[in-house]
Amino acid sequence: MKRQTTSRGRFIGGTAAATALAFGSAPYIMAAPTKEFVIGVNVPQSGSYSDQGTDQLRAYQMAIDEINKAGGVMGVPLRASVGDDQTKADVAVDNARRMIERDGAVMITGGSSTGTAIAVSALCQQMKTIFMATLTHGDETTDINCHEHTFRRYNDAHMSARAMANELIKRYGTGRWFHITADYSWGHSVYDNLTAVVEPKGAKTVDNVLLKLGTTDFAGALGKAQAAKPDVLVITEFGKDMVNCLNQAATFGLTKSTKILVPLADEYMAKGTGDNFDNVVTTAPFYYKYHAAHYPAAKKFVDAFMARYGTPPSNGAECAYVNMYQWKYAVEAAGSPAPAGVIAKLEGHKFQATKGPEYWRAWDHQGINSVMVMEGIPMSARFGDEWAFARVLHEVDGEGVAVTQGQSKCKIESA
Amino acid sequence: MSLESFVQAAINGLILGLIYVAIAIGLTIIFGMLRLVNFAHGAFYAIGAYTGLVVADHLGFFAGVVAAPIVVGMLAFGLDRVLLRSFYGKPPTAQILVTFGIALVVEEALRLIFGGTTRQLAIPDWLNGSIAVAGLQYPAYRIYLAIAIIVVVFAVWFFIERTTYGLIVRAGVRDRVMVQLLGGNVEAASTLIFVLGAALAGLVGVAASPIYSVDPGTGFAFLIPSFVVVVIGGLGSFWGAVVGGIIVGELMSISQVAFPVVSDVIIYVAMALVLLLRPQGLLGESEMIRG
Repeated sequence: MKRQTTSRGRFIGGTAAATALAFGSAPYIMAAPTKEFVIGVNVPQSGSYSDQGTDQLRAYQMAIDEINKAGGVMGVPLRASVGDDQTKADVAVDNARRMIERDGAVMITGGSSTGTAIAVSALCQQMKTIFMATLTHGDETTDINCHEHTFRRYNDAHMSARAMANELIKRYGTGRWFHITADYSWGHSVYDNLTAVVEPKGAKTVDNVLLKLGTTDFAGALGKAQAAKPDVLVITEFGKDMVNCLNQAATFGLTKSTKILVPLADEYMAKGTGDNFDNVVTTAPFYYKYHAAHYPAAKKFVDAFMARYGTPPSNGAECAYVNMYQWKYAVEAAGSPAPAGVIAKLEGHKFQATKGPEYWRAWDHQGINSVMVMEGIPMSARFGDEWAFARVLHEVDGEGVAVTQGQSKCKIESA
Repeated sequence: MSLESFVQAAINGLILGLIYVAIAIGLTIIFGMLRLVNFAHGAFYAIGAYTGLVVADHLGFFAGVVAAPIVVGMLAFGLDRVLLRSFYGKPPTAQILVTFGIALVVEEALRLIFGGTTRQLAIPDWLNGSIAVAGLQYPAYRIYLAIAIIVVVFAVWFFIERTTYGLIVRAGVRDRVMVQLLGGNVEAASTLIFVLGAALAGLVGVAASPIYSVDPGTGFAFLIPSFVVVVIGGLGSFWGAVVGGIIVGELMSISQVAFPVVSDVIIYVAMALVLLLRPQGLLGESEMIRG
């Protein structure tokens, strides 16, 4: 009996220690510091959003290699300090702090969640370091939690909901809506925006089941949805969580009995859900198939990415790539990576990269560019390209759907 | 929470619990009989899932289900012979470090071979669809999976409790030297138990992959709750793993619907309560395979 008690204590202690080992990791450095500009690339390489983080990392590496091959930024080569933020705010902040303090990073970039983006943004503001946020879709990043040193080019939930509004109202407007929502800032932001758009038009919200990031079994929420018999099932989940949720929804028969809305998707999520993504309405800021066919710079980027990695870039990867070049532009225009000059050069800067004309709004540092409203297609309609997941319904001008200064709670520190 | 939602959540919990039962039984028999704390158990789940995906791609779903436990069992055999055998009887910290290391190596190897992309095994059409359960339409595949797990659990119990090999292993746990003196091959029986536990995890890996997406880190997602199951049920207790698995499944499922805020922590609260009130686990004292 005594022996067993000792084993149990050690066993449980060991379990705790090993759990800590499993979920804690430090960023790694790709090269020793020399005369170079260090870029802190802080992306999830594990956890629910690891597909998105890993693809962003590919784009960063490609952009940095291209820039270095072309002579660097003001003749100075770039070096990446890479960290796995695990889609956890505390880990993301620890990584960013190490990148700035230990590695001398002059710019932090990356992310796949609004939760991590807000946390890193606050740190970068405190440490006076530029943060080019990448995959963050919740409004807060450039609204109530906006900061002088943070720029976000990715569409926000406000833009997505308004861009989809006509399509949503046309298809689902007066129905009964059931929401399954990721329980953190992004999920709440998407839910608030969607209900604000459709409820005044007659949509009735039946329920909103909030589930933690990293949920693997959605049967409870889906069973509840099945019992509620809604007209519309809104899955505000991202990455692997969305893949699990939609695929499990299909086994509950919900993809056949109910119209499905996934407010934000990317190539990895659509590939992971295959035929279950058929007819799903969604948005994205970039879709490689569409943009490569319509914009020469996008085609060049997509072709280079596919040649290098064998897969097309996801929308997060595209944002990562453009973020690197936008920072390069600002540093060279300012003649220095010092944040004040970079901020001044980015604010109001109009440019065209892989999409149509776009610009950085000066008062909240939100990138204003188009929103793609799309509808999923079955695997049989993808003609051998399993990544080509959707037909584009509308390319909506970002200006008309972005939050206005009067609506926003953003108060940039220097403004 | 309506009665319909509660019934639905209870059925979900039972099936989720059975999945944990099948994983936790492997953990508990390996610990109970070999005294090995096996953090590589989640890796066996992941290898099973990937093996199933690859084989099913070429030879169909059932070939994948058959191949996964065989491949995992063979790998476990090699691992036991080459590495783990020398860690039997060593302090748990050494066992945790080596098995955790194996889990990390497997995760990175899977990432290297298959990439980090999320994958999912398609359910064959004839296993798809829904079945009426307690007045509710329920995914047929989950029902079939639950039945299959119940059959497998009883088969494992029968093997341990009713066969000569099972007898040698159980006796070997009590008095290894005496069994060897009586002519019993304890080493072979121990290897068999390790292979059986690992193969079971591999089987669950492939069988659950039409429900839960698969990625290189997928093993860890199931490993920690499975350890909670084992602690609640009682370390080394076969039926403890069964009871613990169902409790954990029900707690996770019902809390997800009724009290989503606590669904993240409720199983750990339950584990803490069990440790406070009954440190040996719910069935930790009365089982035949406990050492």
